[in-house]
Amino acid sequence: MRSAATIAFALAALGMSAVGAYQLGPSPTPTSAHWREFAWPFPRDGWPAGRAFRCEGGACDGAELYVRAKRGFCNCDSGVADDDEVDRVADIDLITPRFTATTPGEVVHVGEMHGRARRYDLAIYDGASHAAVGIAVSRRCDLFVAAAQGRGDASAMQHAALAFLETQEMKAWMTAALDGK
Amino acid sequence: MFRCVLTAAALVLFAGSTFVHAQKQTIGAPPEASNMKLVGTNDLQARSAYQPTIHRQGDRWIAYIGHHGGTDDVPAPVNPMTGQAEPNGTSIVDVTDPAHPKYLRHLPGQEGKYESGGAQMVRVCDGKSLPKGDPSAVYMLRTFGSEAHEIWNVADPANPALITRLSGLKDTHKSWWECDTGIAYLVSGAPDWRTRRMTQIYDLSDPAHPQKIRDFGLPGQEPGSTGAVPTELHGPISTGPNGNRVYFGYGTNKGGILQIVDRDKLLNGPKEPTPDNLRLPEISRMPMSAFNGAHTTFPMLDMPVAEFAEDKDGKTRDIVMIVDEAILNECGEARQMVWFADVTTETRPMMISSYTVPEASGQFCQRGGRFGSHSANESMAPVYYKKMAFIAFFNAGVRALDIRDPYHPREVGYFIPAITQATDKRCIPVEGGERCKVAIQTNNVETDDRGYIYIVDRANTGLHILELTGPARAVAGLPKN
Repeated sequence: MRSAATIAFALAALGMSAVGAYQLGPSPTPTSAHWREFAWPFPRDGWPAGRAFRCEGGACDGAELYVRAKRGFCNCDSGVADDDEVDRVADIDLITPRFTATTPGEVVHVGEMHGRARRYDLAIYDGASHAAVGIAVSRRCDLFVAAAQGRGDASAMQHAALAFLETQEMKAWMTAALDGK
Repeated sequence: MFRCVLTAAALVLFAGSTFVHAQKQTIGAPPEASNMKLVGTNDLQARSAYQPTIHRQGDRWIAYIGHHGGTDDVPAPVNPMTGQAEPNGTSIVDVTDPAHPKYLRHLPGQEGKYESGGAQMVRVCDGKSLPKGDPSAVYMLRTFGSEAHEIWNVADPANPALITRLSGLKDTHKSWWECDTGIAYLVSGAPDWRTRRMTQIYDLSDPAHPQKIRDFGLPGQEPGSTGAVPTELHGPISTGPNGNRVYFGYGTNKGGILQIVDRDKLLNGPKEPTPDNLRLPEISRMPMSAFNGAHTTFPMLDMPVAEFAEDKDGKTRDIVMIVDEAILNECGEARQMVWFADVTTETRPMMISSYTVPEASGQFCQRGGRFGSHSANESMAPVYYKKMAFIAFFNAGVRALDIRDPYHPREVGYFIPAITQATDKRCIPVEGGERCKVAIQTNNVETDDRGYIYIVDRANTGLHILELTGPARAVAGLPKN
């Protein structure tokens, strides 16, 4: 009987510590001067959740950025070869399935990875225009994708997002995410 | 007390040694098997293998085996028959005597490594079965790397002759060819479509003069569309004019979709790729979990189910077996496995059962390489059709399933080949580099009308020809051996 009580106590303690870890784990961290992390806002899909950030101040004020790794989702040799690939993989469809590219994409680099970025108009019927930027870069057979949305200028949003992804903290996290950690 | 401690220590040691043995394959160790045995092998010149197709030509049985591109270490293995380094293409092997397969010819494919080169897919039709074929010819349809489809005359399998090439494509893959009509569902990426892979339907009844019928895909994939792009195609299987259905599988390891299509409307309906025209031939669509893809969608229609024999309705069921493809090494993703869908009421298909190899039965997540399903045999020859299915399960080898009751599929045998000096490593990223292991990677499986089972290895271990033994033979109604 005493041993049962001991086991119950141990299980309760383990449970409490697990809850504590869950609460502590994803706490918001000030990652740069302008981007503040918040909880991943999308329902579960085929890929593990990524990280979400909101821009505070500057040209990207109010924009949101969603980033995550997609392992094993890329042509290992050609990488992100064209704009259609960005349409397919960059997670713009998480924001809304209704989006239209506004310009041809362009080659971009994030750290040692390269790929493409493309700008979009989003069909969100709240009376305001929404712009988005999709970014997809690859490391061999794996993708790293970012989607940014906001009401400001898409070009400024893209510039700010790429600058943020180039920070040491984000590059270290991207490497870990692509390693499956 | 001391005896107890000794016993416990011995048990721990025994468990430890079993664990280590189960985790790691070693060169020279015997294959692991249950109710299946090895009949013959061929090393396929240590080329990474994708699809085997076994074809009867007169009194001979010929295996046509598609290959992936080369590896970083060996981009173009040397063909000992020519002495030349040749980009991986198609191996042609005489398997008339399955105990002594005879390698006839390597037909080089596109230069390139892994998925980017080689000639992965093969289908074969006799000229005499095609409406406008040369009756003396045997036609092999293959992909050429990612950029083209080719048709060769392999009537003399040691000396193939190129008949036709359809080029200017990207991401060619798992096509289907109806040998009685010549209609081919070629999986490609057309330059203006928004998806990597879609279907280009051709009339190849006269292989020398291909006639394009139409392009097909899911609305949202067609040129000029906007918004989210639906999951890309992996491959279709048609039941021909009699069944009048084509079962399309979209997705490999994510976001799978089974699409059931009216073949007549597909071939004869309006062909301009507008959303309405793409929707017209669709009977229904079954989305799967975002965790799983639909690599193979294998129809088994009008299956009698013993459990339902006394029921007034629904004694027979139309079943589609769906096989996902594992992509990542060492269980780096959700489990990819086998699913059975009851499509008897076609507009309301429903998943009814599933099958996976128990991971703990071989500590497969620790063995190295991929663990999970990839593909099934696609032969509809009576010897196994609607009775047994064979599933390629990467480092868990091939698995023989009793599917006579598709609501309760049951494993009745397996075979995991031994690794050899040729078996290539599989790596995962670790801090500051890679960590590699060597394990079998059974990629595809096919059967012939005689009941032999052919498995090929993605990690360069070659071809293994197998047969059933023991109780597994009874499932298929084969005589005891």
